[in-house]
Amino acid sequence: MKRTYLGEFEEIVLLAVAVLNGQAYGVLLMHEIIEQTDRSVRLNQVHSALQRLEEKGMVRSEMGEPTNERGGRRKRLFSVTAFGQRTLHEIQEVRASFWQRLTPTLKFSV
Amino acid sequence: MQNHPPHLADRFLQFFCAPHLLEEVQGDLHEEFEYQVKRVGVRRARWRYWRDVLGFLQPRYIKRKPSQYPQTYLFSLNMLRNYFKIAVRNLLKHPTFSLINIAGLAMGLVCCMAIGLYVWDEYQYDRAVPQFEHTYRLTERQKQATGLYNVAVTPGPLAPALKNDFPEITETARVGAWSGLLQYEQKTVEPEAMRVVDASFLSFFGFKLLKGNPQTVLSSPDEVVISEAVAERFFGKNWASEPILGKTIQYNQERPLRLTGIVENAPARSHLQYDVLLPFIYFQLNDKWSYNWNSNNYHTYLKIRPNANAAVFAQKLAGQLKKYKEDNETLLLLQPLQDIHLYSDFDFGTDWGKRGNIRYVQIFIAVGLIVLFIALFNFINLSTARATQRAREVGVRKSVGALRSSLVAQFWGESLLMTSLALGVGLALLNLLLPFFSELSGKPMTLPFHEPLFWASMAVVLVLISFLTGLYPAFYLSSFRPVNVLKGIFDKKSGTSFRKTLVVTQFVMSVVLIIGTIGLYQQLQFIQNKKLGFDQEQLLYVRLKGDLREKSLTMKELLVKQGSIASVSATTNTLVDVQNTSYIEWPGKSPKDEVLITQINVDADFLKTTGMKLAAGRNFSSAIASDTSNKFGTYLINETAAKRLGWTTQQALGKKVNFWGLEGEIVGVLRDFHFRPMSVKIEPFIVRFRPKESYFSLLVKTQPGKTEQALADMARIYKQFEPNHPFSYGFVNQDLDRQYAIEQRTGQLLLSFSILAILIACLGLFGLATFTTEQRIKEIGIRKVLGASIANITGLLSKDFIKLVVIANVIAFPLAHYGLSQWLQNFEYRIGIEWWIFVVTAVLAIGTTLATVSFQAIRAALVNPVKSLKSE
Repeated sequence: MKRTYLGEFEEIVLLAVAVLNGQAYGVLLMHEIIEQTDRSVRLNQVHSALQRLEEKGMVRSEMGEPTNERGGRRKRLFSVTAFGQRTLHEIQEVRASFWQRLTPTLKFSV
Repeated sequence: MQNHPPHLADRFLQFFCAPHLLEEVQGDLHEEFEYQVKRVGVRRARWRYWRDVLGFLQPRYIKRKPSQYPQTYLFSLNMLRNYFKIAVRNLLKHPTFSLINIAGLAMGLVCCMAIGLYVWDEYQYDRAVPQFEHTYRLTERQKQATGLYNVAVTPGPLAPALKNDFPEITETARVGAWSGLLQYEQKTVEPEAMRVVDASFLSFFGFKLLKGNPQTVLSSPDEVVISEAVAERFFGKNWASEPILGKTIQYNQERPLRLTGIVENAPARSHLQYDVLLPFIYFQLNDKWSYNWNSNNYHTYLKIRPNANAAVFAQKLAGQLKKYKEDNETLLLLQPLQDIHLYSDFDFGTDWGKRGNIRYVQIFIAVGLIVLFIALFNFINLSTARATQRAREVGVRKSVGALRSSLVAQFWGESLLMTSLALGVGLALLNLLLPFFSELSGKPMTLPFHEPLFWASMAVVLVLISFLTGLYPAFYLSSFRPVNVLKGIFDKKSGTSFRKTLVVTQFVMSVVLIIGTIGLYQQLQFIQNKKLGFDQEQLLYVRLKGDLREKSLTMKELLVKQGSIASVSATTNTLVDVQNTSYIEWPGKSPKDEVLITQINVDADFLKTTGMKLAAGRNFSSAIASDTSNKFGTYLINETAAKRLGWTTQQALGKKVNFWGLEGEIVGVLRDFHFRPMSVKIEPFIVRFRPKESYFSLLVKTQPGKTEQALADMARIYKQFEPNHPFSYGFVNQDLDRQYAIEQRTGQLLLSFSILAILIACLGLFGLATFTTEQRIKEIGIRKVLGASIANITGLLSKDFIKLVVIANVIAFPLAHYGLSQWLQNFEYRIGIEWWIFVVTAVLAIGTTLATVSFQAIRAALVNPVKSLKSE
């Protein structure tokens, strides 16, 4: 099975984009990720990840409406493409199959 | 604190971030900032903002998106080629202007480079000395009754004493001046620069020993080391291949010296000049008179540790003499080696060797810059004046999309091209003129083509000059608005006041130079023609050496009998810069009052030979027994001395004074005469009559027109007395003139450079005049049709320029007056600055301007109006 490789951080960003359902943009994504994962994320990292995802065809973007707090600047809104959705599913399936095989031992050790 | 993101960070982001990403990135950053302000406060939010902005400093965000439209590049090969082509076409289209521009700039550069070479050379002195920057000479500041005196000599025992007391000192060397005659077999040489030096001398100054053992040379008393030049005179051209070490050389026919070394000739760029070296140890052992704490006879040099603080050391050193000898209040000073050549100004002739003068170096630098600036202004003036001709080109270029920056680059490139041409021409010209400059400056000069530093400095000059010349034209030309220039609307007046300012500045500088030159020449004339108080014409001197000094009077008797010789006087000096001074005691002297008086010992024919006049009293006479008595002397003093001692010339007669331990009576008072250069006042002078002491020279007055004959007679008689020694004589008036060699040289240099300056300024004026007449050719045609005469038109065209030159004169006069009077302060006897100098200069400046401008004006006025008016 050959598919585009997705980094761990990219995966999280892609998931966040999916969760935010069409309303995702830089700062919001950053705050979402910080909240969910509790790790320090910087804006340039989020932007880089989004750019890479877009190059890989997993997200698409369009310019949104300008808002006041952005000094009248528009935001770039991201949404997940079909390819992105499929990739997420595949990842989850791979993980799930591993988990299934791992569950007894893990229970044991916990 | 403001509630918005740091402005600078924003600007920076806008600068580096790719435009297509900027909006979202900046938006996100601002939104985050708002959020952080609420969360952590403005202060920390601002810090965070900076941190976040810098986080975006990555290739990903900096890289621009390729545009679908072509962009204007500042440097594309095609455009560069086009710029070059246009520049060359412009050069060829207006050959007159190009020639004026390049020639003027080239001349300015030649002048500047020649002066640069000279100044560079002046600053290269003594650089070859090891540890140059840690080497110093000790000098003294002596407090005497008559004032403070700086002397370059110090006591003989000082060097070892200091070396012992100061751990900072690593090495010392002493140098003394000596004189005498050397003889090897039948050959005699009178060295010009005989020096008494320590054994450390050669290694201290890095002079190379060509023959001999550098470890032992000059360490025992009876040695001598000679230079290559002296070796050649003694042993012929092939001295190097002959076994000459160990040969015996006679010193003054009384002391045999062993030749232990041949040293290289003194380097040209060394403040120390020598041709014979004698060991210091001999004088230390035998000459108690010069080797003691009371006598200042030697230059003392020392090197200090590289890590020692020179300023602190100098402070510790200052009062040190008091430790070695009580009640010696003289201060010791450190003179850095690099200052010796240019900054040596010592009293009593205590400094010997080759010296430059920082003041003249500064004058040359100023003159060089003036000429360069005049040339630069020409260039700028002509380029801006002709701007209208390039205006259409600018308009077209701008409308097809040229940026202002590319236009600036274009015009700067053009001035780079012109400057390169001028520099090339200038270098070629300089190479041609170098022999002339060498002669003028008295320094052999070559262009150091092999030195990388030379090329580096040429590159710097090239860039700097083209930057300066291109600066104004580039920004002026590129500022045209395409709409206006293409419609043909010009502000014809624009830039004219700038140009006028430059022209005025040029002429101010030229006029100052001219006045300076005239003043300098006047002063030189004045010095050389001033009545000295004695008749220096047809006056020769013969130097007497060795035992000839005792036979001087016998020789004199023989000389006087010759028909070619009018009179002869035996003296101790040649009357050129008499330096021998001592203190005098006189009745009525208060204990604190000291008078230094310059002395000379003569015979009774002194007045007759020199033509000096008595103001009172009588001359010496051999017939009066008391005049030559051993116990009691007779003296003549000059008027200044009489005045200084508090007497009128009549009162002075018969007064008893004590000089050099001999009581004596003043029998006469001489009218004042100049025995030093004109830069100093006439000081007290005393003439002694001591025939039993030895004389050092004969002053010989020849019969008018019989100088040749007299010289032959003198040589013949001299040979009878001294078959071995060369006959050495000189003309007093030539030696007097030689005292002002540096002023004469400066005068010549200044003269050539001010001529050059005027020439360049006129060249520029010529260009401007050509340009304006070209512009007004139609106006002139119409005026002629309406009946204007040629004189009218010439006047009309010349008037503007004359006005500028007149203004320049008015500004220049006070400046020149100030500068000239500053320089004249150096001379105790000087000219007043007379009004006619200014008139002459003004006439000269206006005359040349008129000649330059009217040439064009008349030509324009003579053109048939039909020709100039028929085409539109």
